[in-house]
Amino acid sequence: MVVQGIRKATVGQNGVGAFILQCKRLDFHYCDWAGSSKGMNSFLKNSLTKFAALNPQVEITVSPRPRRHPVIRGTYINGREKAICVRNLTKEQVLQKAELLRDANGEKLKKVTKPVKSINESVRGVWSPYHDGGIHV
Amino acid sequence: MKRLRLERWSGQLFTARSTPARIRPCCLRQQQAALPPRIRFSSSAAVLHDDLIMEDGEELDEESSTSNTNYPSPPLEAAFNSSKLAALHARLNLSQKVPLQTMARTLVDPSADSNADFNNAALANLGGSIMSYHVSEWLLCTYPRLPMTVLFAAAYAYSGPKTLQLVGKEWGVETAAAPGEEVDPGYLQFSKLKPGQALQSQGGSIRPDRKSYYRRGISSRVVYDDEFGDTVSKQAESDLPLPTEHAYASFVKAVVGSVYLHSGSAAAKTFVTNHILSRYLQIASLFQFKEPVRELSRLCAREGFEYPVARILSETGRRSRHPVFVVGIFSGKDKLGEGAGPSLGEARTRACVHALKAWYLYSPGANVRVPSEMEAAGAKEWEPVHIDIGEVIH
Repeated sequence: MVVQGIRKATVGQNGVGAFILQCKRLDFHYCDWAGSSKGMNSFLKNSLTKFAALNPQVEITVSPRPRRHPVIRGTYINGREKAICVRNLTKEQVLQKAELLRDANGEKLKKVTKPVKSINESVRGVWSPYHDGGIHV
Repeated sequence: MKRLRLERWSGQLFTARSTPARIRPCCLRQQQAALPPRIRFSSSAAVLHDDLIMEDGEELDEESSTSNTNYPSPPLEAAFNSSKLAALHARLNLSQKVPLQTMARTLVDPSADSNADFNNAALANLGGSIMSYHVSEWLLCTYPRLPMTVLFAAAYAYSGPKTLQLVGKEWGVETAAAPGEEVDPGYLQFSKLKPGQALQSQGGSIRPDRKSYYRRGISSRVVYDDEFGDTVSKQAESDLPLPTEHAYASFVKAVVGSVYLHSGSAAAKTFVTNHILSRYLQIASLFQFKEPVRELSRLCAREGFEYPVARILSETGRRSRHPVFVVGIFSGKDKLGEGAGPSLGEARTRACVHALKAWYLYSPGANVRVPSEMEAAGAKEWEPVHIDIGEVIH
């Protein structure tokens, strides 16, 4: 056995092949009493069933959070959480926030400066000073 | 790989046996007539009743005894009420043909529920063979010249337990703290190893070797060992606590198995292609050469090429502290490989490694036909694919 095999694990590329939505769970917290939950309560009564039916891959829980502002909390596959306070928002704005959390991937927001991010090797290769004639001084 | 005669036993799995009314409800029941009955203190308690005499002399009321039974895994009905399970089903984009009960069953490891009717052992066995079949046929047809050790490593990289654990976690499956009837069926259930607890031995391997220090050659690994070249333990199923990666691996395999049983082989192949084979791996990074120079010269002799010669292509700073030499390996007028290094020997070694990798990683293309494509209706006639004779030196 002159050639040995090194054991490694493959790296997932979500979207190449199968796509897994990164948002696992959305928790909707509301308050029955406070006025800041008005839009949230209206969302829960009128739009949540449709939203849940359209997004079956997200587990949805609804729970009260008395005397507090309404919050939507997303749990992601990478283990992170994102929470958005939806106080005083209308039903439509709450839906927008829920969709924002659903589409997020759970990672911290960062500035994207490069047009392409890839784990593939460069097709062109790295420039080498020892090839193509080199520099003659 | 051995041909699976699934038509025979998938039918058995689907048909409900004429069972007594009080037996535990189950979605896919296996025929277990030939097996000795297992004593279970939970569900089989009713069977033992006839011989059981209670201390106070009264017969145990049957109704109360069944209502108090604690099953080691969640009941079937819980599968319909679990939002986690439904979300997982939708996240994996599975067909409606795969029922939630089967999905729930794929999440129960034998270490959580030892009853074969309720754990994922059979599904994992089936799914594991299907997965390893698709991975190995794809690897063999796409990289026909891989040495056997690298082929084992590549199969491990694609479908080994470490990778399947990653896959299971990327599907958003979490583990239950402890298995039990009350657990949400959307959690992976198995009995976990305690910190510092040693792995229990599985009772030796199925190899005929008498001594553990006997050399395991590559040919014997192909015959006796599993798809990664590891020994197969004698005891196939066990209820002992197991590492998390093995529990995740059997869950992912069981999902493949359930897709196969409910949606058919084409769907299972698509599932494996999408979730397992689409993952990223640089096979070139799996090689580790011991004697690349000797191996390349043997390769050239075997293939009838001219003897390989190393020539300096360019160099800089030979008398300096960090020289760089670029060496090419030539066979006659053909350049086989090229490498750069801080010494002539190092550069030559790297050039040989480059040339050998170029040989071993030959591929007829990513879209080469694989044998399982012949299962499709109206498939073209099979043209034998090129598979190389193997390693240069053993």
